[in-house]
Amino acid sequence: MKLVPIAVVAAVLAVLPFLLSGYHQGLATRVAIYFIAILGLNILTGYTGQISIGHGAFMAIGGYTTVLLSANHHWNLIATLPVSLGISFVCGLLVGVPALRLSGVYLALATFAFAVSVPQLPLKFSKFLGGSNGIHTAQTKSHLWLYIVGWSCAAIAFAGAWLILRGRIGRAFRAVRDSELAAVSSGVSLPIYKTLAFGISAAFAGVAGSLLVLVTNGFAQPNEFGVLLSLQILIGAAVAGLGSLWGVLVGAVFIGLLPSVAPDVPLIGSSHGQDVVFGLIVVLIMLLLPNGFAGFLRRFEPRVKTAIKADPKSS
Amino acid sequence: MIGLAKRKTAVSTGVSIPVLVILLAAAVFLVIGSLVSSIFAQQTVAGLAQGAIFGSLALALVLIYRATEVINFAQGELAMATTYVAYQLTLWHVTYWLAFFLTLLIAFVLGVVIQVVVIRPVQHSVIAVVIITVGLFILIDGLVAWKWGADLKFMPAPFGNQVYHAGSVAFSRQDLGTLLVTIASVIVLWLLFQFTKLGLAMRAAALRPAAASLVGVRVNWMLALGWGLAAVLGAVAGLMTEPTQFLQPTMMQAILLYAFAAAVLGGLESPAGAVIGGLSLGVFLNLIGQYVGFASAELRLPIAFALLLLVLLLKPNGLFGRRQVRRV
Amino acid sequence: MGMKGRILAVLAGAAIVAGIAVTAAFGAHRATPGVSATTITIGGTFPLHGPAVLYKTIPAAEGAYFAYVNDHGGVNGRKIDFKVLDDGYDPSQTVPLTQQLVEQTKVFAIFGSLGTAPNLSIWSYLNSHQVPQVLIATGDSYWGFSAKKYPWTIGYQPDYPGEAKIYGKYLNSKMPGAKIGVLYQNDAYGKNYYAGLRVGLGKAKENIVSAQPYDATAPNVTQQMLALKSSGANVLVVFALPTQTIQALVTATKIGWSPAATIINNVSANPVFLKIAAANGASVDGVLSTNYLNLVTTTNANTAGAKLAKSIIQQYASALDLNDSNVVYGLGAAWTMTYALKKAGKNLTRAGFMKALKSLNVADPFEYPGMKLQTSAKDNFPSEQLVFIKWNGGASGQWAPFGQIYNKVR
Repeated sequence: MKLVPIAVVAAVLAVLPFLLSGYHQGLATRVAIYFIAILGLNILTGYTGQISIGHGAFMAIGGYTTVLLSANHHWNLIATLPVSLGISFVCGLLVGVPALRLSGVYLALATFAFAVSVPQLPLKFSKFLGGSNGIHTAQTKSHLWLYIVGWSCAAIAFAGAWLILRGRIGRAFRAVRDSELAAVSSGVSLPIYKTLAFGISAAFAGVAGSLLVLVTNGFAQPNEFGVLLSLQILIGAAVAGLGSLWGVLVGAVFIGLLPSVAPDVPLIGSSHGQDVVFGLIVVLIMLLLPNGFAGFLRRFEPRVKTAIKADPKSS
Repeated sequence: MIGLAKRKTAVSTGVSIPVLVILLAAAVFLVIGSLVSSIFAQQTVAGLAQGAIFGSLALALVLIYRATEVINFAQGELAMATTYVAYQLTLWHVTYWLAFFLTLLIAFVLGVVIQVVVIRPVQHSVIAVVIITVGLFILIDGLVAWKWGADLKFMPAPFGNQVYHAGSVAFSRQDLGTLLVTIASVIVLWLLFQFTKLGLAMRAAALRPAAASLVGVRVNWMLALGWGLAAVLGAVAGLMTEPTQFLQPTMMQAILLYAFAAAVLGGLESPAGAVIGGLSLGVFLNLIGQYVGFASAELRLPIAFALLLLVLLLKPNGLFGRRQVRRV
Repeated sequence: MGMKGRILAVLAGAAIVAGIAVTAAFGAHRATPGVSATTITIGGTFPLHGPAVLYKTIPAAEGAYFAYVNDHGGVNGRKIDFKVLDDGYDPSQTVPLTQQLVEQTKVFAIFGSLGTAPNLSIWSYLNSHQVPQVLIATGDSYWGFSAKKYPWTIGYQPDYPGEAKIYGKYLNSKMPGAKIGVLYQNDAYGKNYYAGLRVGLGKAKENIVSAQPYDATAPNVTQQMLALKSSGANVLVVFALPTQTIQALVTATKIGWSPAATIINNVSANPVFLKIAAANGASVDGVLSTNYLNLVTTTNANTAGAKLAKSIIQQYASALDLNDSNVVYGLGAAWTMTYALKKAGKNLTRAGFMKALKSLNVADPFEYPGMKLQTSAKDNFPSEQLVFIKWNGGASGQWAPFGQIYNKVR
């Protein structure tokens, strides 16, 4: 039942680069980047209920990993991606452990603190991390290459997320989100699953960060990973609708394409268009579509939903 | 009613003996250090002045949290926007202090309106409130820059620039004024929550909305009131901050980060804690900047946040927070 | 061949010739993107929001100048279409926006893009695509020194390390033996200045008794100023952004420190900032800096450049404030752009344009009278001159130039 929409999207994505100019391919790649990051955040916040406003920091970790490996050690760009995934995963676990003691707004504040502090590190260790002038890798790639790599990673990420979430881990995550007490009483180990969720989520963000650096001409610099990035990913996840994989594409399109569209909004568009339009849309979406796009979808598919619910084999 | 009053007092202060001892020891350390070294004294006083600014914004954050159980990420921008309102009033030739109090009034209305229109529909979900206040942050920032431009502007300081000297230590009338206003705000809030039915109703509306409405508290109006008052405190913070940060759209952004740290340090439910947290943070940052080489400029903010994280992990309710039992 | 055949042959021949002519005509335009019979399209990325939004008056002033040019015959008969895009000082925005300008809008050149990191992120892209990256708004010296490797890039203003070297030389000649205290931003911006100062001081760099870095995210610099005062320094040098410069001046007065000399960097020497500092209680008279622009002051109000600046801003951008040196900067950069475009001739090509920019020897009316823009194959720095200025008059004062014009500032 669900394969048809996936096949349609995949077909569109496969054909798209031939219809688009190089510049628009670049835009589509940015959508892929946000897709992966939002997917990761969705796993954390939508499926285990832990708020994070710090995913920009994980993206920074992944991005700098890729640049350092390829600039200083001449690694193949694609080979850096699994390393970025691994390092971000470990960092996610490290953040997840103290996060166990926090919840709700306290966790939001702590991850916010993390997001603000990590971009300061390249300034402190400027010899290794390039400081405010950033680090450049000499290997730059064409729009088409970036599109293919970006969306391949997005497809892998989607498949990975789906596999994780439909199995035992996914059920454990949902149990944690719905009621921690009930989860513990049914034998779900909170520390393991909550920390694991942080790790997986950070891994996704790390890969997204690596791709972001590649799309920025192979240039990593602290301003690319500011607090706004973390906020954008959170907002993208909210627009997508937490706890569902389907809206993620919509959320990613929203965040990825808004900066290109905002300047065209009349009157306010040209100066500060980005801020006003973005902020206004976020507020409106939270008021009108509190469950995001996925919630909106759910309204239109009551029959389908009950059919799926009735089927014990589907998640 | 008497039983209610008794329970009220038992609940409100969360100061434990160890914390008081630590604070006392710190105060003694500061006094001795200041007597010994003049640069120590100057850094401490400067830290107190800066910390008072952190504390004033932290107060607004704490009030909103205490009255409505939400964190308002847009608090700093709201404070900044109301400062621009005051600026506009002075451009229209309204005298400074009249503009000041008019701004407080406008801030109150603004706070109430935002709570009713934007927050109330989503207040059941922590995540939704976080996201919508983030959206407000971005929106308000853009609107102010659009209306007034992003360049630096000038506004007179509320208490004037005159500098006083106590030995080698210098502080301005504005520094003193900010500290006194902040402490006065804490006292007013304390009186509100301790001794008035209104304060009790606000606390009840935040903690136990269902039970509160059963005893006749108009919960929605209490929440809106909380936001209105917090907006007033934010406006005060903005007007006190303007002399050192100057009037520009980004003026509260650095302050907000440290205000969060101060609020958490002191305990998100404690107004006095917020101010003491702010003062401590200001002094701490200045002293380690002066004496600890590794604590170089880039690490100032991460250190503040490392402190925040440490407090969150060891004593989640902050120095002055009550221990909260997680209800099953 | 019959009649039909001959007619067909002639028609075919005519068609081929016409086809070649048409393709040649289109081809000539396609060979130079952004240039049509009536328009030259240029564009740049600027921080219209975000941390560097203070500088958005620069593209506004540039737009005003181009509007003036368009109303007065344009450039060799073509009007200038200037696209201003907002990258928020974030390289991950600069790259796609620049790609949009180059690949979608097909601009002739990237003009005036602001910021070191943003320009670094598009440096190799623009050079490998042979797109001019010109008169970029950053004072770092990378562009000037890398002309061989990146021939399509050229800056405009005197660079920061060069400026700082002049401060070192000045202190050596006017105040030898002074104890110097430096406040600088802890990133490449501030560190490059500081390094330049040390080079300029030479042996006297041992006289730097205290160097205090600050972070741009810090609310103020009081702790650093107190440390500088207690170090016994009697000269204060500030390499900071506007907000921190104003804070430094205000704090110095407040803590009762009046150094024998206070030097601030040119970027922060905008009259607007000095006035705000004075209004907040700083004693600003006697503060020193350097300048290369024709700032509109009472002394030079009658120069051609000042009059032109006034009339252009009044007519095309009345919301801008001529007290804001960024406005004069923008006019100067736009003037230089127009001059080079004109010099490149009616048959406008990118290579011809770069050649024109790299053979400048002309006085920009918006630069300080007596200074010249000079470039050559060996010299990729258009502005290399500075003059010292001293502030007089407190909150309603202005800069007064004094002394010699320093050359070869790089």
